[in-house]
Amino acid sequence: MRIAIQGIGVTGGFGNGVAGLKDALITGECMPDTVPVNADNGSIGISGGMPGEMPVFTADTAGLKSFVSPRLLRRVDHYSRMALYGSFLALKDAGDPELDRKRLGIVIATGYGAMRTTFLFLDSVMETGEDQHASPIRFSNSVHNAAAAHISILLNARGPALTVSQFEMSFPSALVTACQWLAEKRVDAVLVGGVDEYCDVLGYCRQRFFGNSRCPAIEPFEFDKQTAIAGEGAAFFLLSLDTVNGSGYGYIEDVRMGNIAREAVPDNACLFTGADGHKKCGNAYKQYLDKTMPVASYAPVYGSFPTATALDMAVAGISMKTGRMFASPETSNSDSNLNIIKTEQSRSDRKIGCLKISDRGEYSLIVLGKD
Amino acid sequence: MIPIRPVAITGVDCLCAAGLNLSDCMDSLFSGRRNCSSPCLFSSTHPRPYPVFEIRDAIAGTNINDLINDRVNAREHNILRTSRLALAAARQALENAGLDRDNLKGKRVGVCMGTTVGSAMNNEAFYSHYREGNHPDMMPIKQFLNSNPAACISNDFQLSGPCQTVVNACSSGTDAIGVGASWIQSGLCDVVITGGADELCRVTYNGFISLMIVDSSPCRPFDVNRAGLNLGEGAAVLILESEKSKRARNKKARAYVCGYGTACDAYHLTAPKPDGDGLRRALADALAISGRTASDIAFVNAHGTGTPDNDRVESGVLHDMLPDVPFHSTKGYTGHTLGASGAIEAAFTVVCLEAEKTPANIGFTDPDPELPSSPQQHMESIKGDFAISESLAFGGNNSVLVIGKGALRT
Repeated sequence: MRIAIQGIGVTGGFGNGVAGLKDALITGECMPDTVPVNADNGSIGISGGMPGEMPVFTADTAGLKSFVSPRLLRRVDHYSRMALYGSFLALKDAGDPELDRKRLGIVIATGYGAMRTTFLFLDSVMETGEDQHASPIRFSNSVHNAAAAHISILLNARGPALTVSQFEMSFPSALVTACQWLAEKRVDAVLVGGVDEYCDVLGYCRQRFFGNSRCPAIEPFEFDKQTAIAGEGAAFFLLSLDTVNGSGYGYIEDVRMGNIAREAVPDNACLFTGADGHKKCGNAYKQYLDKTMPVASYAPVYGSFPTATALDMAVAGISMKTGRMFASPETSNSDSNLNIIKTEQSRSDRKIGCLKISDRGEYSLIVLGKD
Repeated sequence: MIPIRPVAITGVDCLCAAGLNLSDCMDSLFSGRRNCSSPCLFSSTHPRPYPVFEIRDAIAGTNINDLINDRVNAREHNILRTSRLALAAARQALENAGLDRDNLKGKRVGVCMGTTVGSAMNNEAFYSHYREGNHPDMMPIKQFLNSNPAACISNDFQLSGPCQTVVNACSSGTDAIGVGASWIQSGLCDVVITGGADELCRVTYNGFISLMIVDSSPCRPFDVNRAGLNLGEGAAVLILESEKSKRARNKKARAYVCGYGTACDAYHLTAPKPDGDGLRRALADALAISGRTASDIAFVNAHGTGTPDNDRVESGVLHDMLPDVPFHSTKGYTGHTLGASGAIEAAFTVVCLEAEKTPANIGFTDPDPELPSSPQQHMESIKGDFAISESLAFGGNNSVLVIGKGALRT
């Protein structure tokens, strides 16, 4: 029983929708924005840009208004807007199929949840020092499953709704559950996605942890260098059991999670790695990748954030559909011990594995196939 | 929906304000004791403190930090209280299942835990220093990054199976058990360590008070004078095991997860749909999956938070769908432990089936004439092999477990 990808919806620093992501993959160009950081704290370590600023791949959700009335979005924060935008784009990309909304499930992965709203809620207390001034609107939007709630309300999706949070392993974990629900026939279709947002506090923490690395771009295969640039975004997928219509984006053939070991890394697939410029994770990739498999990383077009694995899977789906594997960006100085996809090439009949390894030694592998 | 084979529960334990293990908790429930007071873990500027169900030294003459610390190693002292509670419950439940680290080696062991507070990066001291333009100590952030509840348990037992932390607000614990059961049913795992954990937290305390759904007295689920919930803390873990694994070690099941249903209201961020549509569908699915009908159900452990909206919806749905089935809420003994509540209540349901009795719905004295059904006021004997534990949550989630007695023939 195969799980078919019927539609993909994405938003991030590269733009919006499959077309936006594909353009960025073809050109290999996507420049991060420059965002201010808290000047009082931020000057101690800047990863690129001028003191008081840092590069971030930010998402613009203005296009969500073409799906939802601005009136209905008044109290919806950036975190939930990204998730909503990804969901609506995925449904549109799937051709807006007629779905029994009582049998449409939602599974959302997030590493950190609605961080901006979480800190705004703390502000509502700290600004006056009075606990009585805590904001109920901010509190109710700060819970991790607020995005799933907004999606279910605006899509009238009344099937199961689940949100999971496990840092870098969040999206594959969510995908396991989405596939289980389909296999159990608990739902006819599932909207599954990953979403994470950037916020000032996160930027500050990154500076404190990673210091002053002034790299202009993520160099994912420079494993000994810290080149990560923060990102944010969402990637959603409309999944169903294999249908007679087939799926242009291919099928999810396997989702594996556990502790990384050599046998966990397939040597018969092309690997889209989650290497995103974090030196601590880079060491693991360095240990387990070799010349036997073609590898790529597309983090340079959407940045580093916990649920970027969902965007890796979106790229894999696009590769399945187009039959092309896009050149891995920012690899000119990369390790010659690897078989890096440096120019666009045919996928031929290869399966694609999206491999993520965390700095704690956890791994996930999502395998997509076509026929 | 595919009907399922029941999944064996071979071990279970919990800790909360009602007791530091399941046996002590049930003593509290069956003797009508509750430990509810002003918060000690944090201070508040509310003119009058709202009572909470905190795990306190006074419960058992034990220092709770010592108790938790006894069960975690030095490295783990650097993780958040939620994950320390989760680890303590997991170790107790595995002991109850007769499993240790050696037994788990070579098995496919998954971990699925529910939480709310345990996944939130909201340390007030850190953020307060940050917003004042200082350079705060990064330890709270490191602790947060080291404290994912499911990952902590998986790391502690050096497991390499699927691992998931469910953050579905107040239904997280119930959903985690449902997800864990599906991992056994599909053959993904031999054993699943599942449940929920949450600590009392000032941020959440202020949040719930801001929503005006917290009672300034000990909570009174389903009572005409109910005025909201009290927050609590705790953790519960169930050990789910495949038939093959259970038989290989000649272990009997204490109970079974026979069905799990979940459905969303798609109505409001924090309020349940007045007609209980999502809860009705979740109940119907859980019964259908288990192959049971209303007449098979001995009792219901209701969500029963004590908020006017929640209790109205639950009372209506239970009246319509399980008209002759007694129900009770245990929130009056534990407080609302959020992401842990579904797991704690599933653990209580297991023991009630074993003991063939259910506790009084403490806090309930005067029926609400607007509610079509009321909970049991006193401890009651029950007969039957199946019971239901249900959870409602922010986001419109409704999740239901059908739990079967251990002697159930599969």
